[in-house]
Amino acid sequence: MDFDLNAIRTVQFGVGRDNGNEHAFHCVMVDAAVQKALGEMATETWATMRQLTNNPVRYEPSEKHSGCEHVYLPLNDDLAVRMKNLHEAVNLDINQNALDNTDAMFCYFTKFTDEQGRQLTALRRSTQFKGVLKSRLIQFSDDSLKILEDKVFKLDNDFDLLIDSQRIYILRPSGFEFVGKLKEAILAAVAGNIETLQADLPFVQFDGIQEYASTRPRAARYLASIRSQQEVARIDRQHLIDTCDATGVAIDRNGDELVISERDIMGFLEVLDRRRYEVKLVADEPEQYRAPSRTRLG
Amino acid sequence: MKPGKEGLKLARLMMVLSSISPLFILWAVRGNNLIPEYWFLGFCLFMVITPSLYLWRRIVMARKQKQIRPIVVGKAEDHRDHLLVYLFAMLLPFYSADLSAWRDLAAALVALGFIVLLFWHLNLHYMNFLFAAFGFHVFTIYPKTDNNPLSGKTSVVLITKRVAVSAGEQIEAYRLSNTVYFEPGGQ
Repeated sequence: MDFDLNAIRTVQFGVGRDNGNEHAFHCVMVDAAVQKALGEMATETWATMRQLTNNPVRYEPSEKHSGCEHVYLPLNDDLAVRMKNLHEAVNLDINQNALDNTDAMFCYFTKFTDEQGRQLTALRRSTQFKGVLKSRLIQFSDDSLKILEDKVFKLDNDFDLLIDSQRIYILRPSGFEFVGKLKEAILAAVAGNIETLQADLPFVQFDGIQEYASTRPRAARYLASIRSQQEVARIDRQHLIDTCDATGVAIDRNGDELVISERDIMGFLEVLDRRRYEVKLVADEPEQYRAPSRTRLG
Repeated sequence: MKPGKEGLKLARLMMVLSSISPLFILWAVRGNNLIPEYWFLGFCLFMVITPSLYLWRRIVMARKQKQIRPIVVGKAEDHRDHLLVYLFAMLLPFYSADLSAWRDLAAALVALGFIVLLFWHLNLHYMNFLFAAFGFHVFTIYPKTDNNPLSGKTSVVLITKRVAVSAGEQIEAYRLSNTVYFEPGGQ
């Protein structure tokens, strides 16, 4: 990671608020003890990530991730735009009122600077942070227990993700998807992804697929995932037809173009995303499978 | 959510009072016939020491609590001329004001109250003779204009010993209020 967690120089804390249509991020001043705790959270996050794996795989929007999984996304990826904006934002406005109306608060974040001037942004969904507010807390005062009237927030043990100058290191993919508004971003990216895929696979008619995916998040996720693969342009037309035939995806032909009916679009996208495959272990009985989660071997 | 407020009301008020403390030194030297010497001197001394002590305490607290904010400079303007305006527009007229009658004294204090209120609300609490006396310069830092929708758009005041601040530079300064920052070193 392009940051030294043992040489933190400045710590800025803030919260993200959902103001209807837009997410806003505000800085809130915190004292030295809270800054120390936030630094410890970042260290704990990085340690947990390294415990899971030292070689994280790239985050894929179509993949079914587990609750805690160390994956990464390059900061210049289209899906990282919101997090990149937060990481690169400077002079964030200070607003102590940002802690009012906690229902609108969806995350909290910390921007660290190390001794070499490098930046690290850490972010966490604020479920537990504001959850304590609704609890009835009591404190030992004088010689009896009393209800605590003040607002109390609770920091978590770690963050959902860390962002350095190159990558977003994700510990909880669901947290990243929520704060990064991935669903909306993926749906919005459908047209662009189709344009790229159409250029790479000119023998496939994508018009129907675009219309289908523009309102269906799962199909849109497949498209985003397929687009991020390096080998798309090298897909062979005949091999694609053969794989579709073998896995039960019906393809129509319009001249040289392959046309996919609405019923088979998901199957076709699964083929392109290497999630639909055939296994021949029993003689004359090929078996077809779909993989919600898969890992490339070698 | 309410819009972001400047916050630290008491600290800002004390900083404004601290900025007018030279006037009380001048009044103390001049004296007054209406009020017994020890009361008048005591009041002037209180108005000089208390706000300046509070300002000093605010700086110490900001450093102790590590209330540092990295500020990226878009454009910087040196505002040493503000101090001259402050000196001529406020200190000298008040010093030369006739305080020999109760009504004159009351009028001067009310006018001073208006100025304090104005300084407080317009965030002019950075205009402090003490900063200048200790060799600090005052810069208005305008934010960097980038395409990032999340970057701050508010300009801030930086009190520093630097003689120049370059565009694009990142400065780490202590927060005295949400719009006034103090860089202790910076030479």
